[in-house]
This record gives sequence, C-alpha cells and structure tokens, in this order.
Amino acid sequence: MYRVLLRKFLRAVTILLVVSFTTYLLMYGKGPGIVRAVLGREAQEADIRREVARLGLDRPLLVQYGDWLQGLLTGDLGESLFTGQSVTSLLATRVPVTLALVFLTLVMMAVLSVLLGVTAAVRGGWIDRVVQFLSVLGAAVPPFVIAIGLVFTFAIAVRVFPATGYVSPDQSFGGWIASVTLPTLALLIGAVAGAAAQFRGAVIDTLSQDFVRTLRARGISEREVVFRHVLRNAGGPGLMTLNLGVMTLLGGAVFIEQIFALPGLGSAGLEASLQGDVPVVMGILVVAIAIVLVVNLFADLANAALTPKARTR
Amino acid sequence: MRRTKRLARVLLTMTTALTSLAALSACTDANTASTPGGKKDTLVLGSTADIQGWDPANQPSFQGWPADAVYQTLTRFDALGKPQPDAATKWEVNSDNTAVTFHLREGMKFSDGEPVDAEAIKVGFDYQASHGGQAARLSDYKATTPDSMTVKLTSSKPDPGIVGMGGIKVASPKYLKAGNLNKAPVGSGPYTLDAAKTTRGSTYTFVKNEDFWDAKTFPYKKLVVKVLKNQTAALNALKTGQIDGTLIQQSMYKEAIASDLRVLGMRGNTTRLLLMDHKGEKIPALGELKVRRALNMLFDKKSLAKDFYQGRAVPANQIFRPGSDAYIDDLKDPYPYDPAEAKRLMKEAGYEKGFTVTFPLFGGLGMEELIPVVAQELSQLNIKVKQKTLSGPTAVEELLSGKYPMILWPLGNYGDSKQDIKDYVLDDGIWNVMHQPDPTVTKLWDRFLTSTGQEAKEIQQELNRYTIEQAWNVPLAYPEGFYAYSPKIRIPEMTDSNALNPRLWDYK
Repeated sequence: MYRVLLRKFLRAVTILLVVSFTTYLLMYGKGPGIVRAVLGREAQEADIRREVARLGLDRPLLVQYGDWLQGLLTGDLGESLFTGQSVTSLLATRVPVTLALVFLTLVMMAVLSVLLGVTAAVRGGWIDRVVQFLSVLGAAVPPFVIAIGLVFTFAIAVRVFPATGYVSPDQSFGGWIASVTLPTLALLIGAVAGAAAQFRGAVIDTLSQDFVRTLRARGISEREVVFRHVLRNAGGPGLMTLNLGVMTLLGGAVFIEQIFALPGLGSAGLEASLQGDVPVVMGILVVAIAIVLVVNLFADLANAALTPKARTR
Repeated sequence: MRRTKRLARVLLTMTTALTSLAALSACTDANTASTPGGKKDTLVLGSTADIQGWDPANQPSFQGWPADAVYQTLTRFDALGKPQPDAATKWEVNSDNTAVTFHLREGMKFSDGEPVDAEAIKVGFDYQASHGGQAARLSDYKATTPDSMTVKLTSSKPDPGIVGMGGIKVASPKYLKAGNLNKAPVGSGPYTLDAAKTTRGSTYTFVKNEDFWDAKTFPYKKLVVKVLKNQTAALNALKTGQIDGTLIQQSMYKEAIASDLRVLGMRGNTTRLLLMDHKGEKIPALGELKVRRALNMLFDKKSLAKDFYQGRAVPANQIFRPGSDAYIDDLKDPYPYDPAEAKRLMKEAGYEKGFTVTFPLFGGLGMEELIPVVAQELSQLNIKVKQKTLSGPTAVEELLSGKYPMILWPLGNYGDSKQDIKDYVLDDGIWNVMHQPDPTVTKLWDRFLTSTGQEAKEIQQELNRYTIEQAWNVPLAYPEGFYAYSPKIRIPEMTDSNALNPRLWDYK
C-alpha cells in the first residue's frame, strides 16, 4: 500500500513539473508587452525597460522558472505582475469559492447520479426512459446556457437568488447558500446527466452477472442485492466517472464564474492568462493540479476499499 | 413507485430549504441599507475593470472610482479638461508654459493624521517621477516648495499641458516611504478604504471621510465598488438591485431601458479609419493624397449612424470632440459621400486595381460587426480586407507596432483636445503608429508649446484643419457609450473629460 502511495506521489510531482514548465515556456518572453499593459499608454520606453528589469522579466527562461520552483518549495508563489498582490493571498480568497462550487456539485452529483442511475436500472420502464431522456438533454445543453436560464428565471423574473456575487459562509451562512445555489445547479445538471447514465450502465451490467442470479436464488432480498452487492461492483466505474467529473467541473467553473461574477479560480485564471500574468497563472495551475491529484488519490483509495482487486494495482 | 415518491419528496424538501435560506439572506443584502427616512446611504458601483492596486502612480482614469474615493488631486478637471479646485484653491501658469504654482487649501489631513502640505505634495511628486507610467514625462519637472502651502512645478521645456499636473494623486509621504503600497491606501480623499470589508479583485468598500473639505458633494456614507467584468452579469446585478450603476454595451441599451433603468449616453469615442502611412512606406497607395481622399468619400456616414449604430451615433467629419478646443464648429463635410468620385480619384492616382490591407482587431469592441461593413465599402475600390485578431499580453504592443498602417478603431476623443493631438497627430504619438514626421505639424506644435488662450485654441484648430486636408483619418461616427444606473440614484451631470464614465462626484 505504501509503495503504491509513494509511486502515486512521484507521479504527481512529475506531472506538476512537466505541466508547470510547459506553461512557463508558453508564457515566457512577453515581458515588455505585459509591462506596457501594466503601466498604461502614457508609459515611455524608459519606464517600460526599468519595470521589466525590476520584475526580472529580462532574465533567461530557466533562471525565471528555477526561481519560481524555489519559491514553490518555500510556499512563496511570487506577486501578480498587475496588482502586486501576493499570489498566495489571491489564492486564499479565490480557492474557497471554486472549491465550494466544485465540492458541492460533486457531492450532489454523487448522490443524485447514484439515485437516478440505480432507480433507472433496477426499475426500468418509464422511469428508465425518462432518466435516459433527461440524461441526453442535460448532457446536450451546455452549462452556460443552463446558467443563463437559471439567472433569468430565479434571479430576475422571480427574485429568489442573487444574480451575481459570492458571500463567504463566515459572513452569512444563508447568504452563502443563496450565492452558490444557482451556479451549483448550472454545473450540476449537465454533470448528473452524464454520471447517472454511467451508473445506470454499470448497474445494468452487474445485474446481468451470474453472481446476482445466485444471490437471488438464495432468497436474498432485492434491496440487499442491489445496495450491498451490485452497488459495490458497479462502484468502480462510478468512481471513475466522478473522478473525471472533477476535471470537467473545474473547466465548467471558468464559464460559470464569469456568468455569476464569482471571484473564483476560473475567472482569475482566465483573466491572468489573457493578461500574461505569469505568477498568477502558475499559482492557479498548481492549485488546479493539486485538486485533481487529491481527488484522484481519494478515488483510488475508495476504489481499493470497494474492490480488493484494485489494491494491488 | 413508493421509492420514486420518496425521491421526489427529498428533492422538494431540499429545494424548499434552499429557497427559504435564500429568502432569509436576501434581507442582508448590503445594497438595501438605508436610513430610517428611506434615503439610500450606500452607493454600490459595478466596475468592468479591476484596479491594479493602490499605488497612486498607477491608477486608471477609466472607471477610476476607487482612486477618486481615497486620493485627492491638486485639481479636478471638468468635462472639457478645465481645472477645478480640490487640494489646491488656485494656481498660476507662467507665460511660456514652463512653470505652474499651486496654492494649497488649509487644514487638510491624510487618513494617517499627517498634514497635506507642500512638502507632502513634493514627496508624492518625486515618487511619481520615478514610479509608474508617467515617470518619464514627470522627470522633466522639478518640484519646489516656496512655503508650506505653495508648490511650484518647473519644467525643463515648454509644456502646454502643464496645468494637467494638477491631476497628480496626493498620498501620504509616510505611506509612500513605507513601501507596502498595496496593503491599504493612505490618502486625503472623500472616502477611506474599509480593509476588513474588502476582497481584492472582487469588492472594495469605503467609508465617508466626514472631515473632507468638500464632503457635501459626496452624499453617500458608504461606497462599494464591485468588480463585474462580464457586462451581462453586471446588467443582471443592476436589474436585481445588487448594484446602482454599470457601463453596458451598446447592444444592451434596449434591455436596460425595458428594465426601467436610467441610461446615460456618452460620446467619448470617434470611430475612424487611421491612415497612418502618409509616406506610403508599407502600403504605397496610402502615400498618395488622392487615395486617402478617395477613402474619405467612400462612406455614407449618415446610413452608418442610422443603420449600423441603430441611430445611437452621429456622423463624424473630424476626429475631435464637439466643444473641445480643436473642434471646428462650422466645418462643412470636406469629403461628402461620393463613391463615383472616389473611384475616379483612385484611377487618377494609378491605384484602380486597389490593394490589400490587414485590419487588426480585439474582441469585445464591436469591431467584428463593423469590419465587414467597412470591408464591403472598400471593395468598391478593389481594396481587399483581411482581419487579424490580436489577443494576450502582447496585443496592445503589436497593435501599436507599426505593423498595421491602416487601422479601424473606436478611439477616445478628449475634452482636452491637446491629448488627441499628442496621441494621434504628433509623430511620436502612440496611435501615430508609423511615426512619420511632418514639418507642418512640427512647426504648428512648436508654436503651440508656448501659446496660451485664444491663440492656443486657434493653433489646435489649424492642426485639425491640416490633418483633414491631408486626409490622415477617415472619421466615421461618434458612437454612444452607455452607462446604466438605478432610478434610486441621480447623475445630473457627467464631468469626466474622457466622457467614458461618471466620476465619483457626479453621483447624487
């Protein structure tokens, strides 16, 4: 088990190095352009050269990257080229927003997709057809369209939820719930649609296996067959779906944060990459990779707990 | 079946719980804060751009409400760029535009208790002469303090914009010396930052400074600036009462009006074709005056204003803002719409077969829609148009690099038309992208440097006339930009000299 964990950790470090270096490579060399944008149109060549030198943007690529890496090890991710704000403090305000969005969506996605998937698979008939139809519909409509519909309906036409903004839970818990409801729903609908269909498939597959027939022949109740044995076997593919779902949700969050004007990682990342704010982009990248890797690890551990076969992989 | 009902019940319960929580929290919305008399005491503004921090040397003039809130300037400027008192009560400029003297108001203090005196202004000026985007320009100046309430700025060469030095933001010398400018600003403006209720990049909260000399001009006890970069989101926030005002795109005008919002029209831009290659270095045809004049005759500006801009623009026959010094009031359109004459001129110039041009564009400025319209007209003269979308951090640099000698752009026009001349006419102007010198312009500008009053105005008009004769631009229209705001607030007058957004003192 420890060997497996160590191997996973080494893999994570390799991924981080490769992705961060590639990103640095892509963003390198835009120093004067960035500085011009920072200083504004009145700035003259002398101002720009001075600022480029001050920020160290005229140093070789490897030196700048090495510097950043060293900072990463000591927990110093540098400062935004645009605002001078330390990247760690920027992340401190933005990570909770995106995590709240992704985590809430993920939990509800897990609960709802299991419920819907299992119900559709076990009961079949019209329920199955309705779930399948909704799955296709939910997967076909992009989250931002759903988001716009939700804002129009529940924020403008009927003023139940706020149209924009984020309230942190320590300010007001009710306000927090209100501010994340519509964005979460917008992400959730598409995500559940896909995951429920996956669960449904996995449960149907498992139900048709021999051991289920044997269990039923022993007179074990249908409920126990489904919830104890079938779900456990269908859990592997289901977990994989949720695991991949996190990456999709992180991507979807970029658009959703724009529509609801949420100060999260997605909107910050989009902006920073357009502006060429290298330290901010790199900081967000590290957090995004960390989120994906941690979720991956949890999914693996949960999978190992469910299926003994997975433990040796 | 029973299970399905249970599932439905669970979902219903969740939804009900969420809705009631939301309804409860709606009562705590900051923007509903009002005094018992029902008068609003909090002004919440949406801003489509974030500030870069609190460095007084690096504050935007566009949507610069946070800086308007915390920093005083020596002088404010009205819609036409004329100085008005702020930290300085009066000022004098010497006869050859090389020195300006500001006399300070008594009894002002920074929020850290330090006095706002001549020494503080000098420290602030010296700081800005070595930091930020104005440094190179300010380093031509020297600040001296004849007495504790007088600051004199002396320039090494004549500067007709010398009185514009009053726009420098005043910050506490202690704060400037401490170095950590982004923590919280220390100024002497009408508001102070409430750091506890501020999240950078999203919400800035300010509390009124009751000791400010002009406190009555700022009726709101609390000011909140929310960063809402997506204008659709900003309009939704405005419709639902989360904010009191925001800039909107032209395409949102009808929606804003239909939602019972008030909308302010601003004409801070002149859409134009810049023909910067007067010598024909990159596109030889543009070096021919006849070709440039032909381009000017090709566009039916009335239709453009009526159809393309849906009536929310007026045709332009010069690039300067109506009412500014350089604007010629009674100018008859020197190049009336006449495609046949344009074709004849092209033939005469030997460019009947036309040429190919690449228009650079940025997303989000409405250029994607305008370029095809312009390209279709240009095709009458066999001019082929290609497009190149510029994006990312180097976009501005590439745009202004001289790679594109003919640019279609909605460019700002200024209340103070000197700024237009500096940007668009002089050979070192940022938008004069080919930087080709012109002896007539140089001669007129040299005369302008040391001129004042009526003479200065006449020289500006002469420069305008010359660029029209030489057809350096194809002015198309003054499109309206829109600021939408809640009927709960008033904006009786907009005094921004860039005509791009209301200033903080305009909100009543």
